[in-house]
Amino acid sequence: MIGAAAPRQRCPALGLTLALALSGSLLGCATPRDLNRIVVARKARVDSVDPVQAVSLGAIQLLAALGDPLYRLGPDGTLTPVLAAAAPRLSADGLQATVRLREGLRFHDGTPLDAAALVFSLERFMAIGRLSYLLRDRVAALEVIAPLEMRLTLKAPYSPLPELLSSTLLTPVSPTAYRDHADRPLNTRFVGTGPYRLAAFDPQRQRLEPWQDYPGPPPANRGLDLISFSNSTALFGALLSDEVDVLLSSSLESDQQRALHQRAGQGGLKEAVGPALGITYLALRTDQPPLDRPELRRALALSVARRPVNARVSHGLNRPWRSVVPPSIGGSLAGAWPAYDPEQARRLLRQSGYCQGERLQLPLTFRSNSANDRLFALTWQAQIARDLGDCINLETSGVESTTAYRQLGDGAFPMIMLDWKPDFPDADSYLSPLLSCRESEGERCLAGESASGGSFWTRPGLQEQLVRSQEIRGEARTRVLEDIQREAAGGVPVIPIWLEAIRVWGQPRVGGLQFDGTGLLRLARLSTEGR
Amino acid sequence: MSRHAELGRYLAGRVLLVPVMLWLIATLVFLLLRVAPGDPIDALLGTRATEEARAALRGQLGLDRPLPAQYTGFLLQLLRGQLGTSLTSGEEVIEVIRRSLPASLELGLTALVLAALLGLAVGFSGIARPEGRLDLAGRLYGIGTYALPPFWAAMVIQLVFAVWLRWLPVGGRLPPSLPPPDGSGFYVLDALVSADRPLLVASLRHLALPACTLGLLLSGVFTNALRLNLRRALQSDYVEAARSRGLPERRVVLRHALPNALLPVLTITGITVASLIGGALLIEVTFSWPGLAFRLQEAIAQRDYPVVQGIVVTVAALVVLVGVLVDILVALLDPRIRF
Repeated sequence: MIGAAAPRQRCPALGLTLALALSGSLLGCATPRDLNRIVVARKARVDSVDPVQAVSLGAIQLLAALGDPLYRLGPDGTLTPVLAAAAPRLSADGLQATVRLREGLRFHDGTPLDAAALVFSLERFMAIGRLSYLLRDRVAALEVIAPLEMRLTLKAPYSPLPELLSSTLLTPVSPTAYRDHADRPLNTRFVGTGPYRLAAFDPQRQRLEPWQDYPGPPPANRGLDLISFSNSTALFGALLSDEVDVLLSSSLESDQQRALHQRAGQGGLKEAVGPALGITYLALRTDQPPLDRPELRRALALSVARRPVNARVSHGLNRPWRSVVPPSIGGSLAGAWPAYDPEQARRLLRQSGYCQGERLQLPLTFRSNSANDRLFALTWQAQIARDLGDCINLETSGVESTTAYRQLGDGAFPMIMLDWKPDFPDADSYLSPLLSCRESEGERCLAGESASGGSFWTRPGLQEQLVRSQEIRGEARTRVLEDIQREAAGGVPVIPIWLEAIRVWGQPRVGGLQFDGTGLLRLARLSTEGR
Repeated sequence: MSRHAELGRYLAGRVLLVPVMLWLIATLVFLLLRVAPGDPIDALLGTRATEEARAALRGQLGLDRPLPAQYTGFLLQLLRGQLGTSLTSGEEVIEVIRRSLPASLELGLTALVLAALLGLAVGFSGIARPEGRLDLAGRLYGIGTYALPPFWAAMVIQLVFAVWLRWLPVGGRLPPSLPPPDGSGFYVLDALVSADRPLLVASLRHLALPACTLGLLLSGVFTNALRLNLRRALQSDYVEAARSRGLPERRVVLRHALPNALLPVLTITGITVASLIGGALLIEVTFSWPGLAFRLQEAIAQRDYPVVQGIVVTVAALVVLVGVLVDILVALLDPRIRF
């Protein structure tokens, strides 16, 4: 047996005491926080703070605090000039738009924001922007016509131009600061015009300080720290343990969203919901059997019990929706797609030769890295088995999203679940990405968004309607947009499932949780109430 | 041939193998990334960019070049000590690694020390009374920690200590209020060097949970290795001989059995360093620890080829290096080793 002399016994005791002392000091010594600063957490890391590189919601959210847009969309869809002095003036033929800037605007580096700087920023975006096509596909030329006036010459009339110009991606940057980066991104610095300046940048943490010379209303807080945690549980835990003040919901597991929603209902947290702009839908491959038969596509549309399925999947946080344009957007046609009616679905399936000993074998692909997609697939599969088990056999399989996107245009998926949130809210931003088609053969789209989106569906005259909807305004435009939705609902190349709104939760002491009309949190409005 | 000559030949062989292994690994990762489904353009632009925009970005990133040209370019870059630039951020991959590696090493080394201390202590504790309660507990501990699913364990530890008890932070390396220090990238070391107490406390607080979790998960390896080797050593002839000479049991164990039992543990340590990379992935992701494994996971999801290639080659180089060092140490310490 190992001996145990008295002096040696003290050593473990001493070590234990030291360890406990160290643990105690670690546990009790949290770094004090400046509670007038706001810590905002979200999942996405931000690789670059240059508008030309921004694609993710996280990057765009950050840019919205550092830079100002020309126009801002309110939650009710109204457009307010921010850097611009007034709404763009359109020429009679709709091909030229003049934007006048407000006087006395300056960048964070003190240089003036004038028309030349605006043209520099937009041309830079068109030349090297990741999403440059947003502007490049529509704008033929940009020119300075007065120190504070810029003229855009469009390739074709484009009625949602003001909405496009409200995009955060088009926030102007200082030509002086970006002189050496006119043709390449400047990832870690930002010099724009917004209420904050970037004090420190790291992909996982960004520190924003109020810009003292900001001409608009000053931020309601003393600064922001934007941090990202890589998993949903860490985000959830960080809010519950008061490590963060504000949490943006994107990519948070639905169970955790529900828990936070319930806690907010009990007053333990504050909650705000942005406009429901994200649409989740099923894309059906319409040019190959079996879904080349419209009656089968219609039967599928009739078989989706959106409300109970959504209640299971998102605990009712999403909004079941039967159109591809959200209701907050002009030209939306509520209830365009068929409502849940399993009996009618059965009739259509019977007419097609199913339900009498033969079942329609249908693969449904979902993005395996999206928990909601997986849950939807399994829940709908069970619902179909219950309602139409003798007619349809739904086979579900998951594919990682990047892989799925790669194979969409190859027509690899007879039916796949996808979602879409546009870069700026306008009906065309939903309809064109799903339906536009450059080259077609009857109802088969050979090239264009419909083909690259996996449905390969079009209808003679539909593309002309889409183009026309971009050129006209007012009631006439609304009618065309509604016609397009009726056409698409009749052809069923896609089945809309639900709308998703981004949510935000804050500690009870945090005030000013508000979204703008594009679904971005107004970070400068956040405040620590009562301090 | 003398032992020194044998050793020299062995070492030369091992060192010469290093570039060959790295080339094989680099080639494998290059090919695997290209045959894997998915495309960086889709990861960068999502579902809806026009074909023109996709083609333009493909050309801009050099992904439109034929595969052999891309491969040759990659190897030439590697020979020049360059790893390319990230497709997502445009940042030099070497810079990505320079920023992430210290975080991984800080976490990995701390976890390794904790694992060794804990594992060896538990492994040694039951040796006084084989088959006794302490020994049984040690055995269960060794098997239990080894079998514990890392992701689940990390989640539970995070929930208990960070969310429910609120003793320690949920994740990250520093609180938002503290800017990362300029220095080596090892925050604890930087804090000690600059005598910055708030930074030291904050960095230790953030390090505590991920390092303890990883340390706990790895400690079973040490426990099992020590228990097995110690038991074998205690039943060996030279220990019996020592006992028969009337030496006290404590002295027999500490002086005779333990050093021999610890030698194989050194090899285990080398293997553990390699497995740290895999094990750390789940820990780094759970605790949002911005290390190499965490960055690798993000890069894979984004199909950021240069970053994945750069990190894999760097990790492979580290693992090979540690393997060679352990072999050398064992060869030097154990006179029985022949080549």
